[in-house]
Amino acid sequence: MSYIEIRGLSKRFGDTQVLDNLSLDIEKGDVVAVIGPSGTGKSTLLRSLNLLETPESGFLKIGEKEYNLTCRSGSDRRKIRLETEMVFQQFNLLKNRNTLENVTEGLITVKGLSKAEAERRALLELDRVGMSDRLFHYPRHLSGGQQQRVAIARALAMDPELLLLDEPTSALDPELVGEVLTAIKKVAAAGNTILLVTHEMNFVRNAATKVVFLEHGKVEAQGTPKEIFENADNPRLKQFLYKINFLDLVDYYI
Amino acid sequence: MDVVLFDWKLVFTQIPEILKAFPTTIELTIIATLIGYVLGLALALVKIHRVPVLRHIGAFYISFLRGTPILVQLYITYYGIPLILKYINLTHGTNYNINSIPAVFFAIVALGLNQSAFDSEVIRAAIESVDKGQLEAARALGMTGGQILRRVILPQSVVVAIPSLGNSLIQLIKGTSLAFTVAVVDLTAAGRILAGRNFRYFEAYCSLAIIYWILTIVLEQVFKRLERHFRIDEQAPAFEGKEAQRLTAVLESVRAEKAEVSAT
Ligand SMILES: Nc1ncnc2c1ncn2[C@@H]1O[C@H](COP(=O)(O)OP(=O)(O)OP(=O)(O)O)[C@@H](O)[C@H]1O
Ligand SMILES: [Mg+2]
Repeated sequence: MSYIEIRGLSKRFGDTQVLDNLSLDIEKGDVVAVIGPSGTGKSTLLRSLNLLETPESGFLKIGEKEYNLTCRSGSDRRKIRLETEMVFQQFNLLKNRNTLENVTEGLITVKGLSKAEAERRALLELDRVGMSDRLFHYPRHLSGGQQQRVAIARALAMDPELLLLDEPTSALDPELVGEVLTAIKKVAAAGNTILLVTHEMNFVRNAATKVVFLEHGKVEAQGTPKEIFENADNPRLKQFLYKINFLDLVDYYI
Repeated sequence: MDVVLFDWKLVFTQIPEILKAFPTTIELTIIATLIGYVLGLALALVKIHRVPVLRHIGAFYISFLRGTPILVQLYITYYGIPLILKYINLTHGTNYNINSIPAVFFAIVALGLNQSAFDSEVIRAAIESVDKGQLEAARALGMTGGQILRRVILPQSVVVAIPSLGNSLIQLIKGTSLAFTVAVVDLTAAGRILAGRNFRYFEAYCSLAIIYWILTIVLEQVFKRLERHFRIDEQAPAFEGKEAQRLTAVLESVRAEKAEVSAT
């Protein structure tokens, strides 16, 4: 039994079955990287866990708690949302709030913390991602990398059981990717459990504890970075790695 | 005999007399504005969320109010509300007194409803200008629909809507000048009453023009200030002052606590 278990997750948009009875196990403190071709449902997987999409079926078990992801009641949905937090490709900071307020917002309105408590938590997380020196800046005053680090602090401050990162570096200029990846590494080192969608294969190789290869809404292969990148035996996985230049041509043909 | 064709001094000297009706004009304006904002917001939300049935009623309502002159709407309210009351009295055996309704009530209702039709479009456009990503982020945090509306959507759309809402308020102030047609003694009515006594109609309307013009200029300035106040400056705010000092102290204590925890 794993600490976090996703069971029987299915989601369709119209005629396309985007997630097909997907199951996944995540251990506490894991950094699970989801890789796969475009349009295979990686974002939909993360969004379903956070109920930004409502799946047709699916269960999420965290420790002793079990949630039905198809539930409709507002209070149940908020409970599930408190277990996970999402970091978006486009950062999605609130434009009318400064750095500090962006992080304290959820703590005060959702978790009901006092302003003083919220500030302490926010400053701790902002300091971790190296953003405690721009507390009064608004999103428009921050670079993409800085905005994304604030977004990570915002998610972490909510103390989620599972942190969801959907291509957190894809919208960034190349020179800003490093600072965000460094922040994610720190966050992982602090013991947070992470489910991450990314195309940064070198980062996955170094930082992930587990790699999941998703195709057509199913987990096609999974394993340690070594198993996935060096000893891939699944032909679809091999084809994908070859396409993204992560597998030698020779290797592919053998 | 000296015939004074145009008594320009009177134009200015009678302004204080006319201004006695100023509170009525302001009352009309403020209450109609509030009705306009609240109903306008409701109409905007109905349209954005495509609420069944209400959506069609809203569209019909807006189309009617935008498609008919405000003067006609004033008369419809003025004659229509008593009719409705009479009907209720007849069917329910009640005894509401039509004459106890002050004239200003009809004007407020008519102007407020008219205002809501125009404001709803402004508010809808402003709400839809808030980018969807932020709304998803707020939902992902676990904020409720009401919290998202109050803390994310409204503050951001207000900034977008301010210039247009300012224009609509100026239209309204000028529109209140029609209230005299339903027996309200507003600025315009006060001016006409004065003129009725001394037959200086031209001077009275000149005084009124000056009053409305100045009012409009003042309002324009107020809205410009508001806009500047809400706009987030191009330059990041400096990290200084009491608040900054306090936060620096908090940050240091947070760091110290963290160091202590990792040391043990
Ligand atoms: N709101 C939606 N309505 C209809 N179809 C959708 C919607 N969202 C996603 N899809 C479809 O679902 C499929 C999976 O999309 P998803 O965004 O999960 O893919 P992805 O693996 O994240 O791809 P990428 O690597 O390009 O981000 C795609 O075919 C997409 O077109
Ligand atoms: Mg995606």
